[in-house]
Amino acid sequence: MTVVEKNPAPAAISVRNLDFYYGANHALKNISIDFPQGQVTGMIGPSGCGKSTLLRVLNRMYDLYPGQRATGEVIFDGCNILGPRVNLNVLRSRVGMVFQKPTPFPMSIYDNIAFGVRLHERLDRAAMDGRVEDVLRRVALWPEVRDRLHDSAAALSGGQQQRLCIARTIATRPEVVLLDEPTSALDPVSTARIEELLDELKADFTIAIVTHNLQQAARCADQVAFFYMGEVVEVDGADRMFTAPREKRTQDYITGRFG
Amino acid sequence: MDRSATSPSALTGAVKGNGDAVFATIVRCAAVLILLGLGGMVAVMAWGARAAFARFGLGFVLDKAWNPVTQHFGAAAPMFGTLVTSLLAIALAVPLAFGIAVWLTEIASPRISGVIGTLIQLLAAVPSIIFGMWGFAVLVPFMAHYVEPFANHTLGHVPGIGQLFHGAPYGTGFLTGGMILAVMITPFISAVMRDVFLSMPAVLKESAYGLGMTRWEVVRRIILPWSRTSVVGGIMLGLGRALGETMAITFVIGNANHIGWSLFSPGNTIASLIALEFPESAVGSLKFSSLMAVGFLLMLISLATLVCSRLLLRTRAAG
Amino acid sequence: MAGQESVAATTVLMDTDCCSSGRWQGNTLSDMRRRMVDRIATGLCWAATALVLLMLFSILFVLIRNGIGGLRWVTFVHVTLPPGQAGGLANAIVGSLIQTGLAVLIGAPVGLLVGIYLAEFTSTDGRLINLVRFVSDLLLSAPSILVGLFIYMVVVVPTGHFSGLAGALALSILVVPVVVRTTEDMLRLVPLSMREAAIALGAPRWRVILFVCLRAARDGVATGILLALARVSGETAPLLFTSLGNMNWSVSPAAPMASLPVTIYQYAGAAYADWTALAWTGALLITAGILMINITVRLGLGRNRK
Repeated sequence: MTVVEKNPAPAAISVRNLDFYYGANHALKNISIDFPQGQVTGMIGPSGCGKSTLLRVLNRMYDLYPGQRATGEVIFDGCNILGPRVNLNVLRSRVGMVFQKPTPFPMSIYDNIAFGVRLHERLDRAAMDGRVEDVLRRVALWPEVRDRLHDSAAALSGGQQQRLCIARTIATRPEVVLLDEPTSALDPVSTARIEELLDELKADFTIAIVTHNLQQAARCADQVAFFYMGEVVEVDGADRMFTAPREKRTQDYITGRFG
Repeated sequence: MDRSATSPSALTGAVKGNGDAVFATIVRCAAVLILLGLGGMVAVMAWGARAAFARFGLGFVLDKAWNPVTQHFGAAAPMFGTLVTSLLAIALAVPLAFGIAVWLTEIASPRISGVIGTLIQLLAAVPSIIFGMWGFAVLVPFMAHYVEPFANHTLGHVPGIGQLFHGAPYGTGFLTGGMILAVMITPFISAVMRDVFLSMPAVLKESAYGLGMTRWEVVRRIILPWSRTSVVGGIMLGLGRALGETMAITFVIGNANHIGWSLFSPGNTIASLIALEFPESAVGSLKFSSLMAVGFLLMLISLATLVCSRLLLRTRAAG
Repeated sequence: MAGQESVAATTVLMDTDCCSSGRWQGNTLSDMRRRMVDRIATGLCWAATALVLLMLFSILFVLIRNGIGGLRWVTFVHVTLPPGQAGGLANAIVGSLIQTGLAVLIGAPVGLLVGIYLAEFTSTDGRLINLVRFVSDLLLSAPSILVGLFIYMVVVVPTGHFSGLAGALALSILVVPVVVRTTEDMLRLVPLSMREAAIALGAPRWRVILFVCLRAARDGVATGILLALARVSGETAPLLFTSLGNMNWSVSPAAPMASLPVTIYQYAGAAYADWTALAWTGALLITAGILMINITVRLGLGRNRK
């Protein structure tokens, strides 16, 4: 693990000495990394290197599965979220997540967004309408769906569904948004729109994105972390990482020698 | 960040409202209700039967008598009838179900197979009382006029098995009951068999055909050995249904507490005995208790069968 | 034999007439024997299928022939009357609707909850879940007359009288395992990703299950409830000692209540021609209803799969 570059922005989430186990399998080894506020952190590396695992630690998704455990510290809002007294529902409302495949719920477009909001806030009808319109505008879906808000979300295209999922996530007003390969199941046009979207969103949210696509990381990320075999090999600004990596393994990976 | 305006909820602290715990409790209660349901059935039967077992002891099970006048009751005759009709049903239904399952999976084209498979499953949806009426209206006269006289004259003279086909051709009786049950359980057994045959990896079958085996050889030497456990499980499932069947049997069994060699003689099964005699027995009487006792025995027999069936079917699911 | 056209390509070489040119045929005795056995077996499979289909059509034919005459207005508006007085089945039809309706209202929620338990609590309650699933499967095939005896003992004897509610309770015991089975199967088809997405929004588990998973599975769950309804609407044995039957018009669940299956049972063996005719009409009605539900459900399932 090389020295973490001093980043001027304060960290929204700081990971310190994190180890993660799937049963006996040691999947993350002594990870330390900061996610600076208002920036996009791209996480790259070969399959099975632990980048998605780290993402699932940040909102404690791993808690769903017996046999998975994490040790170390993940500091968010001054609190170690790995601790036992953390209210997971509150944590997840403040650290949102978007998945690889679009996962619209089997309900209307409107209800998809309202579902998450209702969990945490009591809004009257007008305020809810406003919230739905606001987030749909932010993900540039509003013009396409304004006339069919009460139709099933399953009828949307894959790219539209993924934007709806992002809208659904930001509707609960999280501070951090985690994206797990959000464009890997989408066509190039939809991918481009989501990348544009990320750029706009980082004004309000701290973003962590796992991607297999190095160009995507270069385009979207302010900071990039390279993962290999459960370790963070290198963390640096996106421009320096892709032009002048310090580690040989990083260089091998980004020039396509493995992974 | 607009969040800070509304002050973010604290990450730590008590969980607001304990919906999950309440929900888990409700759901677990429902699950326990199921256990209590079955446990309650067994317990209630046993409780109702205690007078009969106290009076007749375990000999009740093998006692052939059923005489309300002398207040002497035994379970042997209805148990005999239950087992004979169910085993006859299995003997008739298994080849039929097997033939249908092979036809649906190996012979018919997928489209036709889908339609015919649905029709056969519709037969499983027909209520049992309809089978009873059909049996009474169609099968009983058919047996009385054609099958039984014919069998009397031919098979009846064959040494050894002749006794099976003696007796007056009433049309009702063990064989007719077994046939009705066979028609009823065939769709169940064939559905299990079809599902197992379909779940077999295609490559196994294809390589067998590739060796030049005929279709029958593939069925006999590849499919059947591969699926044996589940097929037996499906047969046991059918047997479990047959044992507890009431309405279809009641119409055609003839209602006589009788044990004998003849397949044409009228008899009784536990379920039909209960259906016919229970309304005429006073709560607390010895007859009432004896009916509960045969019900308890039926419960044990059919549960044992169904347990075997589930264990056999589960082996496949796990592996 | 017509069906042989459809066999796998590999067997065509062995079986069909197109290659009867000796070159492809085994000439040895054993080869001839093998083909013979194959043909006989194939023929028997055809025969088995045809025989069982014949039974189905025979049942439907007899039902229609004997029952169609009774499909008259009076059958639906008159209650059951003594022989020779132009009675109908109105009380039986309504009684059946009430009892099966109540049975589903009681049984379906329990079945849903147990199905949810079996599908969603595996990680915490593994062993109990296996037991509950096993017992539920046993109930699925338990002798229905014993269910009637059970309710007789725990409801009819303590309350002192037969009642429609007792009948509905007996039927509801048969509804539960059917709904459990389909609910569990359907919930297991809901993708993990959808659950994770709901949990990632901070939803508590019960909301995820009720408002996301159950919603995603609703078509299948509804199918299960319909099938359960179809199954119990033809059940006779559990009603014999619980709701008993009632010759008069009565819609009170606290009183003995008529039902189609029990009326059919009582009338079918009667010595009066008008009663047996009504029994056949009732049988036709009930079978048509049940088959209609089954066909609708199966067509619906087929459509969803595409």
